[in-house]
Amino acid sequence: MEEQVEMVGRAFVDHYYHLFDNDRSSLSSLYQPSSILTFEGQNIQGVEDISTKLNQLPFDQCQHEISTVDSQLSATTGGIMVFVSGSLRVSGEHHSLRFSQMFHLIPTLQGTLFVQNDIFRLNYG
Amino acid sequence: MDPDAVAKAFVEHYYTTFDSNRAGLANLYQESSMLTFEGQNTQGCQSIVAKLTSLPFQQCQHAITTVDCQPSGPAGGMIVFVSGNLQLTGEQHALKFSQMFHLMPTPQGSFYVLNDIFRLNYA
Repeated sequence: MEEQVEMVGRAFVDHYYHLFDNDRSSLSSLYQPSSILTFEGQNIQGVEDISTKLNQLPFDQCQHEISTVDSQLSATTGGIMVFVSGSLRVSGEHHSLRFSQMFHLIPTLQGTLFVQNDIFRLNYG
Repeated sequence: MDPDAVAKAFVEHYYTTFDSNRAGLANLYQESSMLTFEGQNTQGCQSIVAKLTSLPFQQCQHAITTVDCQPSGPAGGMIVFVSGNLQLTGEQHALKFSQMFHLMPTPQGSFYVLNDIFRLNYA
């Protein structure tokens, strides 16, 4: 069971950052009206506003490199908690930034997962 | 009570307990609780407290840099995302860490930790 949860978490993370790095506007498919994003301390709710925030980040191209992915079942919500740490390289910048991010994923009726909660923080040295 | 205030109060209580009376953390976990500590999974209050009290350092001090929180859904849960520094007694440099808690309300009006994930942040 644990392995399954880890596989699902890992698959989601790979998909999420692939979209982020290659087709950022498609990330909107992973959020719903109830979704909440806290990005570097700023709270944003709903697909449109979250999409706008992510599309307007001050860099055109970026590449996420994932170091760790930890996943747990959330017994009370039926969802999965995923905790990620990694590096973010922004084109044109010399050094990559380290970050941590948490997702709370909830299953949809169609059998996919959407991001109900999303918290992102850069890890300064 | 304001959710941000609740989250900050919980975080302060958690790390104060961790730093001064680690066994006291038992009050914050239940049978259903899960901890992933540096990639290692542990379930249930007893096992979690055993894991935390057997970490390879006697004394430590957490210094919190950021606390973010969000409601997790209709069950009244709260997700708290923390980053900070962990100073171990005798070590010259503090370690940086991130930790995520999924808190659930208890009938008594407090919170317990349902999900807990801890990671050191290496440079």
